[in-house]
Amino acid sequence: MSLKKSPWLLHYDGSSCNGCDIEVLACLTPLYDAERFGVINTGNPRHADLLLLTGSINHQNEEVVRNLYAQMPEPKVVLAVGICATSGGVFADCYNVKGGADKVLPVDVYVPGCAARPEAIIDGIVRALGVLEQKRAAAEAKK
Amino acid sequence: MTMDIALIEAAALPERVKGLRAAGSRLAVISAVALPVAAAGEAPAVELTYSFDKDGALSHLRLTAAPGQKVPSVSGDYFSAFLYENEIREQFGVEFEGLVLDFKGTLYKTAVRVPFAVAAPVKKPVPGANS
Amino acid sequence: MKTTIVPLGPQHPVLPEPLSFDLVLDNERVIDAVPSIGFIHRGLELLAPKRDFEEYVMIAERVCGICSFMHGMGYSSAVESVLALPVPRRARQLRVILAELSRVHSHLLWLGLAADAFGFENLFMQTWRLREEVLDMFEETTGGRVIFNIVKVGGMRKDIEDATLSRISSRLTAMKPQLKEITDIFLNDYTVKHRLSGLAVLPEAEARELGVVGPMLRASGVVSDQRLGNPMYEGLRWEAAVEKDGDCHARCRVRVKEIFQSIDIIAQAAGAMAADGIAAKIASAPNGEAFYRAEQPRGEAIYYVRGNGTRMLERFRLRTPTFANVPAVVKLLKGTELADVPTIILTIDPCISCMER
Repeated sequence: MSLKKSPWLLHYDGSSCNGCDIEVLACLTPLYDAERFGVINTGNPRHADLLLLTGSINHQNEEVVRNLYAQMPEPKVVLAVGICATSGGVFADCYNVKGGADKVLPVDVYVPGCAARPEAIIDGIVRALGVLEQKRAAAEAKK
Repeated sequence: MTMDIALIEAAALPERVKGLRAAGSRLAVISAVALPVAAAGEAPAVELTYSFDKDGALSHLRLTAAPGQKVPSVSGDYFSAFLYENEIREQFGVEFEGLVLDFKGTLYKTAVRVPFAVAAPVKKPVPGANS
Repeated sequence: MKTTIVPLGPQHPVLPEPLSFDLVLDNERVIDAVPSIGFIHRGLELLAPKRDFEEYVMIAERVCGICSFMHGMGYSSAVESVLALPVPRRARQLRVILAELSRVHSHLLWLGLAADAFGFENLFMQTWRLREEVLDMFEETTGGRVIFNIVKVGGMRKDIEDATLSRISSRLTAMKPQLKEITDIFLNDYTVKHRLSGLAVLPEAEARELGVVGPMLRASGVVSDQRLGNPMYEGLRWEAAVEKDGDCHARCRVRVKEIFQSIDIIAQAAGAMAADGIAAKIASAPNGEAFYRAEQPRGEAIYYVRGNGTRMLERFRLRTPTFANVPAVVKLLKGTELADVPTIILTIDPCISCMER
């Protein structure tokens, strides 16, 4: 059984400008087609293995993000896509922006870019699959 | 650029708005600007500009709300005003009377209370900035 | 009457962005809908007094990744109108071309999302496949797919060669048959019509009263398009796309019309490029105020800037089309079925990051 053959992905937009979000969606559509790696975009955190965050964390979505993460089954991997999810980007100075996704969640993979390019996002997803596999193996070894 | 701005008192607002509505104007936007204060830490007065569209041309009503002054809501005449007024209340601390849909300060739920209610500090011009 | 409150969002499969509605239901019927926003609020208007006004274009572009070019352009135009800066004709033509290209990509994006909302996955994929061709054109001319950084106060940051422009224009024209194949499904298919026709009807008088903008307003029979009378569009032949029915399908038809119309506008502009430079020199800092209105894919956006003669603006305020259209959604949702709610929310082409800034 290999999780890595069919990771399901949950996307949440923190406070992104939409640029990274549409690129994430573009990844799933015919030209870039992340589905060839078995990735399926799901809206249900209970089904998801990967949590893909775009945009920075603010005071209102902090709880939402924590909640989504808590609902996902183990093992799980978090990707921060785009500079806003990494550090806050150009909006870091805004009063309502707390910073990158790692302010509230353990981030496994950072994807650079403003906006992140689909190639970079796919690369990030593929790396995340490796992390997922490691986490699964670690959990098995503990048993 | 010339702008068609009528300076009015808050009390005269409902009547003017009713007139504009009867004439078929569309509410385009309500904007707010915090005015400069004499000393730091003071609550600024807020300048409100109501912009109306009639056949593609904008006309504006402008009034100044002193700190703590209540402004009559125009959301009874123009339903869409509720969103502008709730926003201005949260960002600038201006209270509106008679809001048809009152979020009671929970529209944005920002970390900072009335973040916009600080007048812009006057900065020195930066010499030789790139063009 | 026993009612149930169902929260929709902020994270919801049909919404690419977080928006939340508390739906008050009587069985399946929606009795009331209370929007709750603020999940993406950054407060970027407050960065204006902290940044140089020329630098701020970068922030303005990042208000939204879908209309990024239009936001940069709208902000720049507002500042230019305070400065009374004459922008070269070539720069204005380049802006028209990129703005219309943005409209094509944005409407295709919406058609795809709408298809996804009414459960036509295949149509979503096909629409986005075509959209990628438009993004290729952006990449070829500006280097970016969604954020371009090509517009600046006074004109454009870089030029695009005439030959490239005409190549893009002919590529777009060649795409028309493929586009038609897809849009015909939106216009004529039984399933699509079944989901959209007669749904969430907004009569003309109510549309005016609620202050809706863009395709929402035009689908209710109002001729209102900020491109009309904008000097940028002088000399170009086109007319506002207007529909009478005011339902979800009419709004879809308006957007389909505009895709083809934008392609024609690009062809006209690309065929008559001026050669008078791409940027005006900025000699002063903005002192005074101005409103600028731009017709974005989602409707009229209003940019307000006020300067005090320093390099930092005193105030930048932006009223985006989604902000103007949300009150209408609140009204339209009342009395509809729960199953139609996603389609109705999408009918305004919501852009939440625009709305909350």
